[in-house]
Amino acid sequence: MRIAIEGLEVRLSGRTVVSGVDLLAEDGEIAGLVGPNGSGKSTVLRTVYRHLAPHAGRVLVGGTDIRRLTPVESARQVAALPQERGTDFELSVREVVAMGRTPYKRAFAGEDAADRDTVAGALARVGMAHAARRRFSALSGGERQRVLLARALAQDPKVLVLDEPTNHLDVRHQVELLALLREQRRTTLIALHDLNAAASVCDRLHVLHEGAVVASGAPREVLTPELLAEVFGVRAAVVEHPLTGDPLIAFDHRAPASSEVVAVS
Amino acid sequence: MTALTTAGEAEEERERGVRTVGAGWAGAALGVALLVALTASVCLGSTSVPLGEVWSAVARGISGREPAPGTQDLIVWQLRMPRALLAAVVGAGLGLVGTAVQALVRNPLADPYLLGISSGASLGAVSAIVLGASAGGALGLGLSSAAFAGALASFTLVWTFARRGGGFRPLRLVLAGVGIGQFLSGFTHYLVLQTGNEQQTHGALFWLMGSLGGAQWSTLALPTAATLLATAVLLARARPLNAMLMGDETAAGLGVDVTRLRRELFVVTSLLTGVLVSVSGAIGFVGLMVPHACRMLVGGDHRRLLPVSALFGAVLLTVVDLVARTALPDQELPVGVVTSLIGAPALLYLLDRRLERP
Repeated sequence: MRIAIEGLEVRLSGRTVVSGVDLLAEDGEIAGLVGPNGSGKSTVLRTVYRHLAPHAGRVLVGGTDIRRLTPVESARQVAALPQERGTDFELSVREVVAMGRTPYKRAFAGEDAADRDTVAGALARVGMAHAARRRFSALSGGERQRVLLARALAQDPKVLVLDEPTNHLDVRHQVELLALLREQRRTTLIALHDLNAAASVCDRLHVLHEGAVVASGAPREVLTPELLAEVFGVRAAVVEHPLTGDPLIAFDHRAPASSEVVAVS
Repeated sequence: MTALTTAGEAEEERERGVRTVGAGWAGAALGVALLVALTASVCLGSTSVPLGEVWSAVARGISGREPAPGTQDLIVWQLRMPRALLAAVVGAGLGLVGTAVQALVRNPLADPYLLGISSGASLGAVSAIVLGASAGGALGLGLSSAAFAGALASFTLVWTFARRGGGFRPLRLVLAGVGIGQFLSGFTHYLVLQTGNEQQTHGALFWLMGSLGGAQWSTLALPTAATLLATAVLLARARPLNAMLMGDETAAGLGVDVTRLRRELFVVTSLLTGVLVSVSGAIGFVGLMVPHACRMLVGGDHRRLLPVSALFGAVLLTVVDLVARTALPDQELPVGVVTSLIGAPALLYLLDRRLERP
């Protein structure tokens, strides 16, 4: 289902953190949010999964403003994988994934066969069915993220929202998780730090800078040396990936750390 | 070779897996244990009453017939039965409160008394004891109602401070609770020291340490009702409680109104704590230990954890009270002293165990 954000403004403790943000993911698309630390990526995503209320603007899922839905109704449309990665409580992998059914269950209702199937299916899709009875906190970082993705899938959402899901993962697990995400073919909003990963995985990119969207479009159109210099303050060349043909950003790690970075064309 | 591998896998399973028994089995076993504990608690004491006598006394009590002549019926029906039942109810309530507070502040080592409610209740109760029947009687306040009034007052204070700046964040809640709790405890200790009357001091101290000695049939109704109500309210929120264990954002993404849920939990746990403390004093460590033990038994899902914690708490406090009554030949220990003596080492053990884990 298509998700669109229109004219979003969020204020936290009186300070405007993002304003005038428009962004979009068409049905089945993976749309990436990239930008330096503090550019407002997480804030935007938090309004989508309703941890934050926007001060102005709308979040439209399939044409419906999610603020017109109850929290439970919108949790059936949008599933989130926030940056929270752990718990001090002894929960099993299966218990964590079963949380995904929360928006579908009334108080006192038990788990029915359909819930069990959904949970088992979600675990199988991320390749963690064998670990259902293991303790969540004993998993490795990569396994944990897969389980949390399974929880989001068990929510059976129209839209997935992921905030830096590959943080703190080693390269192999980063690649695995993003591949898994592409296989889902579900409308996805994802904040990513790694620009090369974003260029490969996303159908569409939105670049945030100081709380505003400064560029939107296909990765190839958006990720230019000029933009990288202006927004990220780095010198880089954009070439073609020898294996995939995706844009590949080659950073110049020897460039002097000066405030003025000149783009190479 | 095969045997080795299997042993290795079993080892790994023990080490990394969540070991749980079926909640049904745990519930049934605890139910039986509770019956046994209650029976033992009524039979044993300074005078032992044979089992057959206990049942006939209970039967006479329930049917409302005249008690048999002699002291045994009196001991069974008027003293031990209400006390054993109060121990079970307070234990169940503390188990529930502990489970809820740990989810509320998202810390498995949190204690119900962290929220400062019991300090207010203690101050109320000690004021009633120290100011004596004269002032208390004039205000129409018994010990229990004074304790409950104190609990409500400290609840309001903690609430007001925790809410400042909007939201309902765990750390702020804990710090407000601890701060206000300390402040009120200071007052309580001052009051106890000011008492010239040795008997009053003794009474106040006994109460501060937690005691079930005041149990009567008439004191059972309120804590029983409060515990049953809290069970229903918390069980209705079992899934949102699970979601909150992973973090506020995760819970929000699952459709949980986190601020509202915290507010509801705070009200339920405070009221139940207030009621419990008002009938039994501040009994420490039960609310901390019970949920922990039960998580090891049935896992962290609140749909199982809440009822099992209530049952386990009931069994534990019934047994502990029996020990407190019978451990020393001619002296009764405050039940809170026994829970502390058992609970503190258990807590240290848990802390140690958490260190060793990955």
